[in-house]
Amino acid sequence: MLRSLAKLVADPTAFRSSVAGMVATAILQGIGFVLLVPVLRALIEGDNGRAAWWLLAMVLALVVFGVLRHVSQIQAYHTAIDGGRALFGRLGDKVSTLPLGWFDSDRVGSLSRITGQGVIDVMGVPAHLLRAVVTAVTTPVVVAVIMFAFDWRLALAMVLALPVAWVVLRWASNRTQRSEHRTHHASAEATSRVVEFAQTQAVLRSCGRTVDGFAMLDDALVERRNAGRKLMVNAVPGLIGFSAVVQAAFVALLVVGTTIAVGGSVDVPELVAVLILAVRFIEPLILASDISGAIKIAENAIDRAETLLETPVLPEPASSTRPTDASVTFDDVSFGYGDDIVIDEASFTIAAGSMVALVGPSGSGKTTIARLIARFWDTDEGTVAIGGVDVRDMSTTDLMEQVSIVFQDNYLFAGTIEENVLLARPEALRADLERVAALTRLDEVIERLPAGWESPVGDGGTRLSGGERQRVTLARALLKDAPVILLDEATAAIDPANEQVIQAAIDSLRGKHTLIVIAHRLSTIASADEILVLDDGRIAERGGHEDLLAAGGRYASFWHQRDRASGWRLERSGAMP
Amino acid sequence: MATTDESDVDSKPEPDQIGLGELLAPVRNQLILACVFQAIGALAGIVPFIAVAEIGRELLGDRDSDRLWTIVIIAAVALAIRVGCFFAAAGITHFADNDFQLAIRRRIAEHLGRLPLGWFDDNDAGTVNKLIADDVSAMHPIVGHTFIDITNTVVTAIASIIYLFVIDWRMALVVLIPFVAGIFLYAKQMSGYGEKMEQYNQSMADVNTASIEFVQGIAVVKTFGQTGRAHKRYKTSTDSFIQSFWDWVKGLLNIASLSDIVLSPLTTLTLVLGASAWFIDRGTLEVADILVFLSLGLALTMPILTLGFAGNEVQLASAAAGRIGRALAEKPLPQPTDPQIPLEDDLRLEGVTFSYGPDEPVVLDDVSLAFEPDTVTAIVGASGSGKTTLGRLLCRFWDPTGGSIRLGGVDLRDIESEELYARVGFVFQNVQLIRGTIADNIRLADPEAPQSQVEAAAQAAQIHDRVMELPDGYESVIGENVSLSGGERQRLSIARALIANPPILVLDEATAFADPESEAAVQDALSTLVAGRTLIVIAHRLSTITQADQIVVLDEGRVVETGTHADLLDAGGTYQKQWAADARVTAEVG
Repeated sequence: MLRSLAKLVADPTAFRSSVAGMVATAILQGIGFVLLVPVLRALIEGDNGRAAWWLLAMVLALVVFGVLRHVSQIQAYHTAIDGGRALFGRLGDKVSTLPLGWFDSDRVGSLSRITGQGVIDVMGVPAHLLRAVVTAVTTPVVVAVIMFAFDWRLALAMVLALPVAWVVLRWASNRTQRSEHRTHHASAEATSRVVEFAQTQAVLRSCGRTVDGFAMLDDALVERRNAGRKLMVNAVPGLIGFSAVVQAAFVALLVVGTTIAVGGSVDVPELVAVLILAVRFIEPLILASDISGAIKIAENAIDRAETLLETPVLPEPASSTRPTDASVTFDDVSFGYGDDIVIDEASFTIAAGSMVALVGPSGSGKTTIARLIARFWDTDEGTVAIGGVDVRDMSTTDLMEQVSIVFQDNYLFAGTIEENVLLARPEALRADLERVAALTRLDEVIERLPAGWESPVGDGGTRLSGGERQRVTLARALLKDAPVILLDEATAAIDPANEQVIQAAIDSLRGKHTLIVIAHRLSTIASADEILVLDDGRIAERGGHEDLLAAGGRYASFWHQRDRASGWRLERSGAMP
Repeated sequence: MATTDESDVDSKPEPDQIGLGELLAPVRNQLILACVFQAIGALAGIVPFIAVAEIGRELLGDRDSDRLWTIVIIAAVALAIRVGCFFAAAGITHFADNDFQLAIRRRIAEHLGRLPLGWFDDNDAGTVNKLIADDVSAMHPIVGHTFIDITNTVVTAIASIIYLFVIDWRMALVVLIPFVAGIFLYAKQMSGYGEKMEQYNQSMADVNTASIEFVQGIAVVKTFGQTGRAHKRYKTSTDSFIQSFWDWVKGLLNIASLSDIVLSPLTTLTLVLGASAWFIDRGTLEVADILVFLSLGLALTMPILTLGFAGNEVQLASAAAGRIGRALAEKPLPQPTDPQIPLEDDLRLEGVTFSYGPDEPVVLDDVSLAFEPDTVTAIVGASGSGKTTLGRLLCRFWDPTGGSIRLGGVDLRDIESEELYARVGFVFQNVQLIRGTIADNIRLADPEAPQSQVEAAAQAAQIHDRVMELPDGYESVIGENVSLSGGERQRLSIARALIANPPILVLDEATAFADPESEAAVQDALSTLVAGRTLIVIAHRLSTITQADQIVVLDEGRVVETGTHADLLDAGGTYQKQWAADARVTAEVG
């Protein structure tokens, strides 16, 4: 853990020196403890003068201990603060260079924890936790070593407890770890049931599942309780064992000491000192086991931060080549997520300024094709090129200037509508803003809202309706005015008004930009210059609407089915089961 | 959401939070019993320290081996009692906490199930999960540790101090010096703590918000070449967090470090030895008497250190308990005091007005409508006209702010949920499936429904064939070994509605493009739902509802037109204009 931590903190030298300070402090504390022996001996023997000198030494040890502890603690705080600041910075830099494809919804949830609370957890180690651990190890060792010099039998009796306690502690933690698997599983299950409970609340209520309880949630909660109970039952022998060993060691020391003392072969001051110090000896261990939970949390945070910082990023070219036109070419491209092949040897060229519709069942690879153009990932084989230039030979900035993306999960930032649209081109003129707003009917929304352009959209755009959000993202993408535009119609057109918005946007872009549309509306598909029909990651058919219809293949049957659906009316036709 | 700043005229104040005392009520007896055990253990725990001193005294005196062994045995027995009592105490609190967590989780879930559905709009699944899973777990230190830890510290300290005063009051005062100084310094650190902690939490919340925004929005900003901007916002908030945290602790560093040094055992040891030497030199103290101050005096400061470490956890636990308390104090959707059972299936709105909150705009304004049994009514209107809200009021997701909705003449508020939902069902656009088998999902409304009925419903909903293609058929678990497309999910929810078989069904027809490939199948499934019941369709495309018995046109929350398709076209109003506009779009399909 120390090595990982040294990599994460801002100034490894300062960190090491603060650790060294902690060790030195713990050693001094041990020395101070042992000085009890000579002081006590002098007092017992009635030599008060000698006692005063040894006391002076002890005060000296205390002063040095105090100064060292203070200096190293202040240094530790600085390490923690500077380390936290630096870690926030490094994580921020890293996140902004990760490939776009890396950000799926699972990762986004855990990532924001690493970049937020996780950093605080890491900072706690140098600030507080480390000293407790260092002291727990160092002080007893120092006391033991010096005690050997005084009386090896007592020292041995004292030290013997350590390995036994350690073995019992290991055994106990192994025991609990085995049942932790079950508690982990139970709490994960309960969590997912709770989330489901919240998300499906409307259905659960209408099905009467909240009146007498949602059995699946309750089962998960009960299992969580049972798993927790089992964990405790399993942990008890270990905890009792550890405690018993610690206490038995103390009793053993009493017995050994008393036996030797009764035999008369021991120095009384040493024995008394050992008995008093024995308590000190065990205490840091107990303290360390008390904070082991916090250490575990910090360790996980460190691991996750390290893993994130080590995630490979997409290589950037040494010098960036700019494309000459807005054509898009796939040359023998294969791509998959893990073993799951999504695009299988696809080759095609989309001419600059043309409009292409991507059509196919869900999972056929439409979205992946669009994402590969924007270099969410690199292909496994083959090349994706814009204007004849491999996307890997362009810098991220240059590539992003070429493409504009309107996808389903477009995110809005807490801020005003204007800020969100201007994100695409901060230097855009008012006239440009008005133009895209009119085109996407965002102007209607702005007119309706009291604060107009200055209306806040809320965190993630939650204050706007789905349709309104979509108009903002569309306006934003149009304002960017990139040569290649990738558009996913999926969330569009839930009502005729929004359909018109999409239609107007496409009309205004045609001819001036290369338009690649993941198309769902029949009018978009039929009016495309070319249709790429995807099936299972392969280009199954391609051509114009009339040609494909005439060919009577996959596209033709798709079209007929959709055409039937669009003429559908709600009528009393079916019979009850 | 009830906001705290709204000055309610209501005279009797509603508590906005369930206090910790009431939350803990179910485990109160166990906690008391545990504290008794802990107190006994703490008293027994002092004995070995005294025994060590007594052994020393005996060795310095007449070295009577019988007495020595008696002391050893007493020490050993006391240790055993201590360990036993501590385990009993910790065992009681931990098993109590285990049961407590289950009980409180059930209580929260049950309570949330009674809140107006609107609450779930303001509080997403993450919040609910934090409440039921994380916050309840975070309360563990309070139930499991805090009470017995405090008992231990207080009993040990008081008993030790009394014993030490009995032996020698001057030395006892000396031992108390670091103890009192430590408490004084600790109190000094804590002054203004609440306010500072508030600032810290605020600043921490900013970091989390910025983190989430940064991470969720990074894909977008990257595509706009604006990575630097979002990054800057994250950096600004983390920097200001670090800065404000540092400003806070900077002033406390010296005092915190000082209090750690004062409370360190080495300080007590040096102090006690120094004072002892002084008094011995004066001849007013025996060497044998100082031993107990060395052993017991050292034991005095240790529990304070342990408590210090636990302090932060207790802070978090109290905050968690506060959130749970506030959630439990949220007012549930009122249940009827004198429930009635509607005998007819006619549904009527009488002067219904609705807004989502006292300061929110009016969404429905004086709406009066009748839905006769076995008719199809379509609700149409531009987005924002209130049609979706109207659908939700019919299912009592919320209660109207004015007017009433009556089923068979009975106000929805006077019908028990079970009775209501047996009569009114809905199929909404965002299909909610539970992670269970397909069969469980279909029979959600009636867990006793036989397999044959489940399959018949699936057949009618056009999903049976798809289910049979799955390796485990109806026993396939959704979300685990099967994932369904949008259209398939919709058909499954239609099958579910067929099992529930309510005489009145509210249907949100915005199915478009969820899964274009299976749109036709969804439509065929929908058609089976229509037969033999009152259907209320929230329609987004006019072309699908031309056959409806009644079409209601909403505009800005008001009913502007009602009639059949033909009537409304003739009337030449809002409907006719919209129909013409839609026709233009459709015409372009060519």
